[in-house]
Amino acid sequence: MNAHARLWSALAVFSTGLIVLSGCVGGSGDDLTKVRPSYSTVGPVTEIARADRANPVQFSGTLDNGETASSTDWAGKVLVVNFWYAGCAPCRAEAPDLEAVYSEFKDQGVMFVGVNVRDQAGTAQSFAATFGITYPSFLDANVGSIQLAFAGTVAPNVVPTTVVLDREGRVASRIVGQLESRSILQTLLRDTLAESP
Amino acid sequence: MPALGLVGWARWIWRQLTSMKTALWLLVLLAIAAVPGSLVPQRTADPNGVLQYFKNNPDGARVLDSLQAFDVYTSVWFSAIYLLLFISLVGCVIPRTRHHWIALRAAPPLTPRRLSRMPVHEAHEVDVQDSGPVRAELVEEGMRLLRRSRYRVVTYPEPGDPTGASQSVSAERGYLRETGNLLFHVALVGILATIAIGGGYGYIGQRVVVEGQTFVNTRAAYDSFTPGRFFDNSMLDPYSLTLEKFSVQYEVQNPKALGMATDYTARVSVRDQGSSQGHTSSIKVNEPLSVGGTEVYLLGNGYAPEITVKDPTGKVVFSDTIPFLPQDANLTSLGVVKVPDGLKSQVGMIGFFYPTQAVAANGAFYSAYPDLVTPLVTFNVYTGDLGLDSGAPKSVYTLDTSSMTQVTGRGTGIDSLQLTPGQTVQLPNGLGSVELTGIKRFASFQVAHDPTQGFVFGFAIVILVGLALALFVPRRRLWVRINTSKTGRLVLEYAGLARGDDPGLAAAVTDLAQRHRSRFTNRD
Repeated sequence: MNAHARLWSALAVFSTGLIVLSGCVGGSGDDLTKVRPSYSTVGPVTEIARADRANPVQFSGTLDNGETASSTDWAGKVLVVNFWYAGCAPCRAEAPDLEAVYSEFKDQGVMFVGVNVRDQAGTAQSFAATFGITYPSFLDANVGSIQLAFAGTVAPNVVPTTVVLDREGRVASRIVGQLESRSILQTLLRDTLAESP
Repeated sequence: MPALGLVGWARWIWRQLTSMKTALWLLVLLAIAAVPGSLVPQRTADPNGVLQYFKNNPDGARVLDSLQAFDVYTSVWFSAIYLLLFISLVGCVIPRTRHHWIALRAAPPLTPRRLSRMPVHEAHEVDVQDSGPVRAELVEEGMRLLRRSRYRVVTYPEPGDPTGASQSVSAERGYLRETGNLLFHVALVGILATIAIGGGYGYIGQRVVVEGQTFVNTRAAYDSFTPGRFFDNSMLDPYSLTLEKFSVQYEVQNPKALGMATDYTARVSVRDQGSSQGHTSSIKVNEPLSVGGTEVYLLGNGYAPEITVKDPTGKVVFSDTIPFLPQDANLTSLGVVKVPDGLKSQVGMIGFFYPTQAVAANGAFYSAYPDLVTPLVTFNVYTGDLGLDSGAPKSVYTLDTSSMTQVTGRGTGIDSLQLTPGQTVQLPNGLGSVELTGIKRFASFQVAHDPTQGFVFGFAIVILVGLALALFVPRRRLWVRINTSKTGRLVLEYAGLARGDDPGLAAAVTDLAQRHRSRFTNRD
């Protein structure tokens, strides 16, 4: 396997060399930096500059308490969408941090909503009770409509994934995997809130 | 034998490698090397099969693994053959193309001095006296006939005539044969390159979906995922696939095959991003569904008992359909239920599911038939720490009992829980209750994206066209010479030489000879 990987990396280096060489001929060595000037990805965090955000993400579904909700219910708020399920160990690890950031920001025009991708209502509610989660979660295992709404370029690629939507409902940032510290989400929220409405 | 220097050896190796014979051998070797890939489960296509292989035959599996038999198509030896073939073909095609390019623009060769030495030769004396105008006319006629048969034609002055007035005709055809040959090789290189590079943009993923649940084509939704080298998560086309119903038909007539599944059908509903309505479709074994640039194959299936767990007050703390993995042909299945929240301690249950429960002479349960006749679930219950709160991901199909205590089943003094559909039983120690709410089926799907398909198809057509040209276009040279007999009469000589296999050469020479002197023979 290792030798094979080496073989391929040799090929990759060779072909990259070719690309670089052909790039020299064109005299446009800066192209790579122009492709995505505004997507900055540091580790698991992706931030998207305001001008480059895609269309607002619209979604609706059934919450774990049986009520239906839709993205329009939270129009004008900054929305944090967390994809999770109860048997997902990293989801359990980050749950207290999410709740803490939620209670800190909920009075500042920020709403949190979970999207449970595997469980049914009973399981999801027990999880919320264990960790004292006070924000609601969509049950998306059966319908999949919320995962579908977020699929594509800035998709939730692992569980957990946390997405921050700006006041217009557009994806402003994404944290892939377990939230490593509260401060990451706090900073992202402050940045998004600071954008003039 | 003269000693070869380093350069000499290198040149010799290069010549051997780029010879057509070596390329053919490498091609055969590649085909043979691909065989183990279909005999031994492959990690990319069937990761569970590999695990099973390790479980059933650990020693053999270790030996095979050291030979990379579970990763045949990415193994060192397969890649070595592949790359050598690639180099061999490229090294062969480039000089041949150059050669052919020159040949395409060159005139047909000088007429041989003695046509009688050619493989096919005819000479006919005709009853006409030699004269300059007749000769010129015959040369003209020969050129016309050959041109009409799509030969490239030139005339050469006869060496015996110092005046240069008498000429012979030299013609050649069938350049397409070599063109076809080269096309064949280039397309072969194309296929190799497409698979090597294009395969890097593909992916294969597996996902188990229970009836009534939905899979969304995002990286997070896959149970296992094998991306190509150049794959990026944003390449996944957004769509969702809901398993509406999974039906199995069993053989009920033939007593020898009783209970054999004769048909599996997954009825699914597929939705694109932005559309509110899905369209229904069905997936069967070997009848994949094409959606969003992917092919969705039906890999496997099984039962997913619907389990509801309540706390002592009767509040539902857990409800889920748990896919139980089949262990034998009658679908005795093994599953794991993890109840992390809502009870006074975390509960894990290792369950067996028998679609048609029967009891062996020794008292053990087994399944006698794969369909649901007398379904039963049994659970061994564990309490303690499920290991989910350390943050490290855990497989949903295994229960780590290292920090747990077994509370039912062998050695605990309490019988395993037994549940038929609709039945509720109490958990030990007043933990709560478990209900077998219902039984659903699950299907496991393989989602594959292979961007090389179209290119490979195109190259395959070029290969066939090239091969047809190379095989069926004859490459041959024909000559016409006008001589004089001792009596001063004309002797017409025709000769042909084939390059490569050409069963039609003699006929072609005879045909040319007949048509060329038809005006003399007609007169006879």
